[in-house]
Amino acid sequence: MAPASPVRGMLFCHAGPHRLAFAAHEVLAISSPGEEADAASARLAFQAPAGAMRVLVAASGGGVGVDTLEIDAESHPVLPAPCVTVHASGGSLRGFVLARGVLWPLLGLADFERFLRGLRPGAA
Amino acid sequence: MAVHEPEARQSYLVFACGSSWYAVPAESAAEVVTFPELTRVPGAPAHLLGVFAHRGEVIPVVDMGLLVAGVSQSSRRAVLVRLPRGTLGLTASTVAGVSPVTGALEPLGSAGVLVHLRGPAKSGPRDVAVIDPEGLFDHLSQGA
Repeated sequence: MAPASPVRGMLFCHAGPHRLAFAAHEVLAISSPGEEADAASARLAFQAPAGAMRVLVAASGGGVGVDTLEIDAESHPVLPAPCVTVHASGGSLRGFVLARGVLWPLLGLADFERFLRGLRPGAA
Repeated sequence: MAVHEPEARQSYLVFACGSSWYAVPAESAAEVVTFPELTRVPGAPAHLLGVFAHRGEVIPVVDMGLLVAGVSQSSRRAVLVRLPRGTLGLTASTVAGVSPVTGALEPLGSAGVLVHLRGPAKSGPRDVAVIDPEGLFDHLSQGA
């Protein structure tokens, strides 16, 4: 298994009670749901009703809605994702960040947004 | 049809998840742990309960009751199955210990996870499903 490689600059988020992390350099802007009405709610990835307090806008233009977010400038190790988890998030899972004593799934923002878009009711 | 018998010298770790008993080759069973609060994996199927950090590795935990029978079996203990490609935690409500298994090792079904469970087999008086660890990893890695 590949050794952990640290990542500096993270956004630690929650979707409902569930943890998510994104690399800060992938976030173009932080917006509100009112300004990004088309954003995909991260709650959908946990089979929960859509909803969000803040929206992370990717360079691709798409947005991911989360309930809480915290910017962290520290460097944290990233542990490889086990093989049984890599397909779960549509290939957007980059690994797991060990921070504050718990694991945070580290997701590629644009890929995760595309994955969420496919989970929306009525999505093809 | 040839019936494959478990090798007489092979030992298995026998454990229960709910009312169902399973056996995993002892050389693949690394340890039995009580796992902490799990981190859910976005988009994961319900039987993949989450992951936890253990000795510097991320361990996924699978609810065997949900995976096999679609019935959740609440447990904070897991048998860690270790293969060269990684480690997998299988929920266990009871661990009977290491013992031989007798009987056949034919797939218990022709589709899904049952392809990777073998039998009919017994460990002492118990009916057990013998887990093929490599096959189970393959099944779960395909996003099942």
